Amino acid sequence: MRGLSKTFGQVRAVDDLSFTVEPGQVTGFLGPNGAGKTTTLRMTLGLVTPDVGTATFDGVRYADLPDPLRRVGAVLETAFHPARSGRDHLRVYCRAAGLPLRRADEVLDQVGLGPAGGRKAGGYSLGMRQRLGLATALLGDPAVLVLDEPANGLDPEGIQWLRGFLRHLAHTEGRTVLISSHLLAEVEQTADRVVIVGAGRLVREGSLAQLRAGADAGGAGRVLVRSPQAGELTRDLTGDGVRVETTGADSLTVTGLTAAEVGRRAFAAGVELHELRAHSSGLEEVYFRLTTGQEEFAASTPPPADRTAAS
Amino acid sequence: MGRLVRSEWTKLVTTRVWLGLLLAACLLSVGSAVLLTSFAGDPQSGIPPVGSSRYEQLAFAVPANVTVLTLILGIIGMTQEYRHRTATPTFLATPRRGRVVVAKLLAYAVAAAPFALAVVAVTALTVVLHAGARGGAPAWTGENLGVLLRSGLALVVYAVIGVGVGALFRNQVGAIVGSLVYLFVVEPIVRSIPATAGFYKWLPGGALEAMTATFRGPDVLTAWQGGLMLLGYGLLAAALGTLLAVRRDVV
Repeated sequence: MRGLSKTFGQVRAVDDLSFTVEPGQVTGFLGPNGAGKTTTLRMTLGLVTPDVGTATFDGVRYADLPDPLRRVGAVLETAFHPARSGRDHLRVYCRAAGLPLRRADEVLDQVGLGPAGGRKAGGYSLGMRQRLGLATALLGDPAVLVLDEPANGLDPEGIQWLRGFLRHLAHTEGRTVLISSHLLAEVEQTADRVVIVGAGRLVREGSLAQLRAGADAGGAGRVLVRSPQAGELTRDLTGDGVRVETTGADSLTVTGLTAAEVGRRAFAAGVELHELRAHSSGLEEVYFRLTTGQEEFAASTPPPADRTAAS
Repeated sequence: MGRLVRSEWTKLVTTRVWLGLLLAACLLSVGSAVLLTSFAGDPQSGIPPVGSSRYEQLAFAVPANVTVLTLILGIIGMTQEYRHRTATPTFLATPRRGRVVVAKLLAYAVAAAPFALAVVAVTALTVVLHAGARGGAPAWTGENLGVLLRSGLALVVYAVIGVGVGALFRNQVGAIVGSLVYLFVVEPIVRSIPATAGFYKWLPGGALEAMTATFRGPDVLTAWQGGLMLLGYGLLAAALGTLLAVRRDVV
């Protein structure tokens, strides 16, 4: 994607967004609701025309792909004629893409909808609709899959199934998967890379490992301590680039020391400790910081430390 | 293009919309034929008597009275993509949207033929039996067969117009209600006001009258001119719809 922008009325939904999805990996496309994820994916697939910019698959625009369903499969929303059976829905698109009709039954079995294939799609549960959407995307056996919030409306069991299925598609079958979500936890176990957007702009792009490393680095040196002798401990620890904040009657946040070092000094000073733990800010925290920072660009952002103390 | 047309036929036959419309069209057409035949020759109705060639032409033009149903068939065929949001998978499969509209025009033109044949057949059978019972089954003259054929063709052309209207307006309820208001309110007014009556022959209703030669109305075109003009209206709506409406963002 190169420099995509799209404005709806007064709203700049997507603003000069560029990123690349690597083959053979699962890329998580993250951002809060209204960050422009769906618009971006629809521009990628030629459903929405960008004001500026282009999106290509191996250098070719979606509309110029000779057999789009055989190259790219997309799950965008649950769109079916309610009176048409799931199997017939799939057959319609087999015909349009010049695929053999047996593909309809094959993908129904692949997503576990085989027995319900003859029923009208209008009577499907939300989870079944998501599976039918996925089946539609798989019809042409595409090397690239684009999924917009595929876990929406799935029950925990369905989410578990979806994660395993996506891992299988990407890691075992080697497909390229781009999956959007507003929840990091949803893609944390599946994605190799993440692209984070906020208010239509790119916030962060990188491997999940990089993001995790950043998260740990950001949290390193912060140690949470609870002690009935908090005042005494503060005096013992302060100095030499070590900062101690009092966050409650008996609790402190120490910056600049490891948990082991805090424990050693407290033991040496004979101070009683009730709790001692390294504060790991975690991926969710990093994601939250990145996206709220972006959303409330001009407004005053509550410092993340306050949030941790409250939680 | 062949596979896109087949895809449209699969869409058409995998819901029961066509069946409901076909039954309604047959019932309406048969009902009209029965009424027409019952009151034929009654001086108060003004309908020519059974056995006259004018009655026979009127009776065999009855299927053209239900063209509104093939119009609705075409409108639903196009607008259901937006109503049920299947435009998304449809345009994912065929990103060149003009090809989808062309495929629908072709698919509905062909699919409307057996539909029209069924309506024409049951209507003709009704007329033959009923008029026969009243003392004079119509003869299969070339003129009578021509009227039947043109009524059937009118049904087909209206399905094509329906696809075009659907492409232009996208909203199913709006397109159907708008068409009904146009056909049953606007055109009759244009037809009845002397100042605008001369213009009527250039409108779809006038063209339909021209096709089926109900000959009681105002000045109309010849049958083939009328048919071609109707087809032109349908294709014009489809072309405008493709340029103005179908290309818009699917969000």
